[in-house]
Amino acid sequence: MSAVTDQDPTEHTGRPKGTARGDDRRADRSPGEHGHRGEPAAATAPGRRDPRREREQERERVYARGGDARGTDGAPSRRGERAGHGDREERDRPRGTPSEGADCADAWDDGLIARRASETDGGQQLPGVSRPAPCAPDAPPLAYDGPLRARLDALRELVGLSRTRLDNGTLAEAGRVLDEAGARRRLSGRHTVVALAGATGSGKSQLFNALAGVTISETGVRRPTTAAPIACSWSDGAAGLLDRLGIPGRLRRRPLQYPDVEAQLRGLVLVDLPDHDSAAVQHREQVDRILALVDAVIWVVDPEKYADALLHERYLRPMAGHAEVMFVVLNQIDRLPGEAADQVLDDLRRLLDEDGVALGEYGEPGANVLALSALTGDGVAELREALGQFVAERGAPARRIAADVDGAAGRLRPVYVTGRRAGLSEEAREEFADRLADAVGATAAGEAAERAWLRNAGRACGTPWLRLWRWYLDRREPPTGRLPLRVQADEEATARQRVEQAVRIVADRASAGLPVPWAQAVREAAVRGAQGLPEALDELVATAGLPPGRPPRPGWWPVAVFAQACMTLVQVVGGLWLLGQIIGFMSPNLGVPVLLMLSGIIGGPVIEWSCRMAARGPARRYGQEAERRLREAAAGCGRARVLDAVAAELLRYREVREQYGRVTGAGAR
Amino acid sequence: MVTLDVRPQLLDALSALRDRVAAARFPLPLAGAPRARANRDELLAQLDDYLMPRLKEPEAPLLAVIGGSTGAGKSTLLNSLVGRRVSEAGVLRPTTRTPVLVCHPEDHHWFSGPRILPELTRVWVPHQDPGDDLLLPGENPARVLRIETADTLPPGLALLDAPDIDSLVAGNRVLAAELLCAADIWVMVTTAARYADAVPWHLLRTAKEYDATLVTVLDRVPHQVVSEVSRQYAALLTKAGLGDVPRFTVPELPESAWGGGLLPATAVAPLRSWLVQRAQDPAARQDAMARTAHGLLDSLKSRMPELASAAAAQYAAALRLTAAVDGAYDSEHARVRGRLQAGAVLAGDALKRWRAFPLDCTARELLDALTESLAALLLCAVTAADERVDEAWRHEPAAHTPELTGRGISPARAEHRIGMAVRRWRRELEEYAEEEVREVDRSVAPDPEVVAALVATALLGGRRARPAGEGLAERIGAHGALRLRDRGGRLLSEYVDGVVHRERERRLASLDALDIHPEPQAELIAALSVLQKER
Repeated sequence: MSAVTDQDPTEHTGRPKGTARGDDRRADRSPGEHGHRGEPAAATAPGRRDPRREREQERERVYARGGDARGTDGAPSRRGERAGHGDREERDRPRGTPSEGADCADAWDDGLIARRASETDGGQQLPGVSRPAPCAPDAPPLAYDGPLRARLDALRELVGLSRTRLDNGTLAEAGRVLDEAGARRRLSGRHTVVALAGATGSGKSQLFNALAGVTISETGVRRPTTAAPIACSWSDGAAGLLDRLGIPGRLRRRPLQYPDVEAQLRGLVLVDLPDHDSAAVQHREQVDRILALVDAVIWVVDPEKYADALLHERYLRPMAGHAEVMFVVLNQIDRLPGEAADQVLDDLRRLLDEDGVALGEYGEPGANVLALSALTGDGVAELREALGQFVAERGAPARRIAADVDGAAGRLRPVYVTGRRAGLSEEAREEFADRLADAVGATAAGEAAERAWLRNAGRACGTPWLRLWRWYLDRREPPTGRLPLRVQADEEATARQRVEQAVRIVADRASAGLPVPWAQAVREAAVRGAQGLPEALDELVATAGLPPGRPPRPGWWPVAVFAQACMTLVQVVGGLWLLGQIIGFMSPNLGVPVLLMLSGIIGGPVIEWSCRMAARGPARRYGQEAERRLREAAAGCGRARVLDAVAAELLRYREVREQYGRVTGAGAR
Repeated sequence: MVTLDVRPQLLDALSALRDRVAAARFPLPLAGAPRARANRDELLAQLDDYLMPRLKEPEAPLLAVIGGSTGAGKSTLLNSLVGRRVSEAGVLRPTTRTPVLVCHPEDHHWFSGPRILPELTRVWVPHQDPGDDLLLPGENPARVLRIETADTLPPGLALLDAPDIDSLVAGNRVLAAELLCAADIWVMVTTAARYADAVPWHLLRTAKEYDATLVTVLDRVPHQVVSEVSRQYAALLTKAGLGDVPRFTVPELPESAWGGGLLPATAVAPLRSWLVQRAQDPAARQDAMARTAHGLLDSLKSRMPELASAAAAQYAAALRLTAAVDGAYDSEHARVRGRLQAGAVLAGDALKRWRAFPLDCTARELLDALTESLAALLLCAVTAADERVDEAWRHEPAAHTPELTGRGISPARAEHRIGMAVRRWRRELEEYAEEEVREVDRSVAPDPEVVAALVATALLGGRRARPAGEGLAERIGAHGALRLRDRGGRLLSEYVDGVVHRERERRLASLDALDIHPEPQAELIAALSVLQKER
């Protein structure tokens, strides 16, 4: 509670100075121009201005593109606005690390003791701190190096590409990282903002004062002591950075001027934070907000609290990726007897290691772990030296942003990467074609055509006597299957259920290795493509099938028919001849007529049989042709409507996946 | 003055209530479920480890549990109270991994048995070598309770050093909470650096909620600031409504520093005498005990309905999930029936066969095609229903549990089951056809297979298959045809209903296995009301 009351007068007293400065700036500016372009950066770095403007315009374009997709949602569009007019937005996000905070609150909600934490959490919001316009940095703005810039661009692109597929909540953090990267880039590159964070009573303020060489921040036994962040900058031009942190002018200080110290820590902006673990919830909100904005953090722990679960689970573990911009300082070693300090320091190292924080030992990049006593001054010089080196490198802001990008990419990983191969295999395509062929009845149609051809051949080339017999049978038997009314074209020749199932299976196959949102998109594309597919197949069956009516007659049929007729004629002639001999009309000569008749009787079936043998091949070809035509027509239709849509969606995914690879740096390095 | 009179009815009611609480399950991952589970475990621990044993044996020694944040100096405090090193203290955190219980040798039998904290393995160590490796090999350090005896403690009082309540080791946190549940007196230790920390305050608020007998100790206060810090702490306590809680201040002394020796007796004397008075003065003892017990009984009034409502929420979520399945399968069932009526089965392959029948296609082939097509229709309906269920469940947080998301139905298995059902239907239909054919008195009996194919076509082909019906009538007579179609139709709808029903049951099986019923809610409330009546 006390923090709120502290904060408000702070605001009021801080206001006149800030607004006055802001008004001056605004007066300089032509009305249509955006705030940050009004800054006289051109005076110091004219050449760098153009590409920056280009990137900003592109960034606005991305947001404008995304804007219609998320028109109803307030928060993101507000962010879009911020991208344009970065100076006038309200800082209404109390938590700097939103997802981490939520997760940890859950993880912490595990028992008698901790569970009441969630009740008090989030009830009170930090009063909005409106930020004055960034003042003219007389220092050149920050410039990111090539790979980081490429990764940021890739992330921006990725967010733009994913807007339609992922919900805003998923992309919120990536958007935040982009915003912060943009905001930081516009501000001084010569300064490094370092926050002192830690539990209540760990001696943050004491260390702050020790580093500044003068009592700036109030220290005391009253817990919690520091209610609002206090900043101290070792060189000029950091006003914009402090504006960004929302630290009012009243709480900005300068260190005691010693020439050597001044030179050592030039460019350092130190921020003393309130505690993160006291019962005052507003303190934690402030800490979370500022931790998301600073370039580096010094975690101050003491021998009593260095193993607090809150510190490790809520802050160090989620921020493990930021190890390179992290100092962990064990304070109050004067309270430890003898070699206990080393023991505790080792234990602290072990705990940090378990948290996944890389330790900067043996020259490897990672968190710097130091032991010191702010009270006696033991070890403060080492910290000062390490800080001086760290600040002089000027790499912290970029490293912090890179770690942010890593973190955002890591959290987005499940929606982009599954680790399995995705895509539409050739078998899946073929199976889909087979199922569609089934749906239109290609196999049955082919077989029917083959048999009809054979039947016609048999009828055409059979002996006349057989035909006579069949005709007779037909007259006796009731006609069942051959009713002409069945041949009418009907509306639903395609099996709907089979088409539906085929589409479902091919969509499942195609989306098998994809992350959930993209799998959903693939499925939707397939279903959308499948609309009207059965009707199209109906039409195809009507047009692409074999021409109606009798199958074509091959050229050798008349010959066969003629041969059959000859055989019959021979039989008749032989018979008549024989008859003539029997009735004595002709001279008896049994041999020739019997031979004639026999050859006729045997020859007819022989011809019929050989015709059937000869017809088999063409019949099969005819049937296969019929099947093939249907199958290809159906497959073509399915490909055009469903497979192409699915492949397009897969291609979009692949594109996004590549972009994601670029964000993680795999593609760039 | 609160007294504690215990009647057997009360004990019965309590044990009934305990069983109800133990039976409550919250398997669906709803928003409130983890909380409800924690509440249930906590309540169970309090009932089992404190309330029941205390009511059964009011003469058992008082148990004071020393709890607090990591590094607050709990072990040092315990050692100083006892007068010798019983619990390891040190600079590395967390120090105490194994809880230590100290009591008078005469009281040892109260704690060595499973009267309280039965799930902790007891380790009894003789006086000589504290601080050595005390764990039996293979023993989980978190599930061990070390028991020490000390003559310096008065009989009737036991002290327990709990692990830190905000430990980095999650198991310690749970254990600390569990141990506090068993306490008659909660001794909360905090330090000058910590007294404003959020975590201990949550615990203090909990203690207030349960109205437990509570003592707070402000430890490690550098002595130049003793008065200021303790004044501020008192102000904070008063603000939280805990102004009347006994408060003791222990200054930071060189001896206390980081695992060294014991604090001088004078530093802990007020606390010690307060505790000893609780143990030895019968009235104070009765008061301390009854207050915690009654506080717990009173807290049931709000905690049981909370559990009951969580149980109700589980049931409601289960109903919603079931309704989603029912809705999906019902609508797919209706669609299947509609399509059967419309003759959707006689399409594609089957239609081509029928067009070729009987000239270029045998009856068997026609039947094959029809059964295959029918199976495809049913499989399509079932998978579509499944997909709708998945879609509906995706929006239900309750369904995001491995038991439910691990798909019960694999398409291949479903295809197999449906294929079996359809083939059985076909066989029965063929039998019907044979029966009908046998009754036909004609010189040339029609082929039963042809009859079966025709009746199947007539049943499945809708309007399109009218010629099949006519053909059937010609073969076995109008009367026989009507009868056969009737029976076949009944058989068909029976089988279709059966398939859809079976698949639905299969889908619901995973949900049923979670065993969520409406009864726990009512039972919890009923047990509470019985208890209220008996008090």
